[in-house]
Amino acid sequence: MSAGNGGWELPISEGELSRLTRELDEAHQEYLPRMHAAAAELTEELRDTQPTLAGVERLRMGSRRGFLLGAGGVAAAMALAACSSSSSTSKSQGATPSGTAMSSPPSASTGSLYTGDLQVVALATALENQAVGAYGAALAAAKAGKLGTVPAAVGTFATTAMAQHTDHAKAWNAVLTGAGKPAITNVPLSNQPATLKALGAATSAGAVAQLALELENQAAQTYLFATYNVSSAGGIATAASIAPVEAMHAAILNFVLGQYPVPDDFLPVDKAASPTLLTV
Amino acid sequence: MSEEHLDTRLLAELTEQSQDLNSDAVRITREALAEYGQQSEPARRWWQRGGAVAALAGGAALLGVSRAAAASSDDVMALQTAASIENLAVSVYTTAAGLSFIKDGNKTVAAFIAKTTAQHQAHAQAFNAATTQAGGKAQTAPDPKYAAVVKQMLPSIKGPGDVVSLAITLEDVAAQTYTEYTSKVSDAALRKLFASVAPVEAQHRSTLLAVQALLAGNDASLIAIPTDAAKLPAAAGSVGFPDAFYPVKNASPISEGAVQ
Repeated sequence: MSAGNGGWELPISEGELSRLTRELDEAHQEYLPRMHAAAAELTEELRDTQPTLAGVERLRMGSRRGFLLGAGGVAAAMALAACSSSSSTSKSQGATPSGTAMSSPPSASTGSLYTGDLQVVALATALENQAVGAYGAALAAAKAGKLGTVPAAVGTFATTAMAQHTDHAKAWNAVLTGAGKPAITNVPLSNQPATLKALGAATSAGAVAQLALELENQAAQTYLFATYNVSSAGGIATAASIAPVEAMHAAILNFVLGQYPVPDDFLPVDKAASPTLLTV
Repeated sequence: MSEEHLDTRLLAELTEQSQDLNSDAVRITREALAEYGQQSEPARRWWQRGGAVAALAGGAALLGVSRAAAASSDDVMALQTAASIENLAVSVYTTAAGLSFIKDGNKTVAAFIAKTTAQHQAHAQAFNAATTQAGGKAQTAPDPKYAAVVKQMLPSIKGPGDVVSLAITLEDVAAQTYTEYTSKVSDAALRKLFASVAPVEAQHRSTLLAVQALLAGNDASLIAIPTDAAKLPAAAGSVGFPDAFYPVKNASPISEGAVQ
């Protein structure tokens, strides 16, 4: 993606774009049926299974510890926002997908619309929507020339990653609606204001890439944590199939940012998101 | 990357930072393995998965089920197959590191191979530790199926691109296998282990895919840390993650690398 004279030009040829789009579509055709099957399986399980709040509580407590251990950057700012202002932010963010304001407190463990494994699914959906929104905003800012000259690779990265996050959100929303819960089409997370603020303050592709890296690491680690804290087999399989993809996004972002692309021997969970971020 | 573009000081700093992060991750994994050794959960066949793992684990803990009883034979075979894949990866990367066009070639590629070898060694150790804790025998041999593939391909390896292509295949098999095993093993601690390794193999593959694209585009000078992001071709931004959901169709069956 490049911004020249305040405008935006497609950084690749139309033929290459068509080829990439075709390949992406083929990949979707190949793998989405499996995801639909997994989502259906998960939905069926969730219908039949009582919520296992213990698992969610483990995720919540473990993540809180991770937040406290985490150092610097946007993640820390987000964690602070989550800890200190969840009540106030929930009033602005805590709307149902239909737009109805939530009258109950934003606590994820009391009065939440989503409980048990569905709370983790809701968190996953919200994180995916957050990523989609962030990449969309970044692309719009680039198009408007607000990020200076944006490397072509960063443009294709943002476009492709956004499409994959959209697919992830669709898969998770299918689970929610299949279980009789409302789909989540916005970002009901208490850290969203901080994320938007950070995005708005970004004036370079590097700054946006750094923020995206934080979001990707958070997503990958949240899914890792979910694999051993949710009870549904379908949920485990879905989280397991998405975590590597988010980690791959992070690898490329690290490379673009000049950092080693595979920094950990084992993916950690210190940056995993907490269900307490949810405001619905 | 051409040698004149290599910032060895920065690479050393990044390596040190990476090692610090690794020490934390290794500690977490060791804790998980220790937990795995102590945790009690009824053995379940893969086809008997229910929807209340947490409840089962809690109940088993109350009953004091032994660790040996918690891990099914399928779990042990899965761990052994995983270790065999790691053993093969270590062998291939070690061999590759000694090839003249790697040893005397792109320094970043050589550094990546060295670091990746160490990471696969750590994975093999973790899988074997879990195996022995579950009462199984550590797997020290390479995966037989892919060892044969490697043996067949070795004579045709003539340059860095061939090495990268082979490594991509192995990393993908590892990532697919662990992604599959995450939802198959009967124990939460094992799920954590497989789920914490699969993304790392996926990152190896992602990096190698980008390297492969740069080599194919005669952009080897951009294989550097830091790279010149402004000069990266557009495709480099997306070639590293071709699937929205990580596939498992090429996952190895659990018996593939099991100790006989």
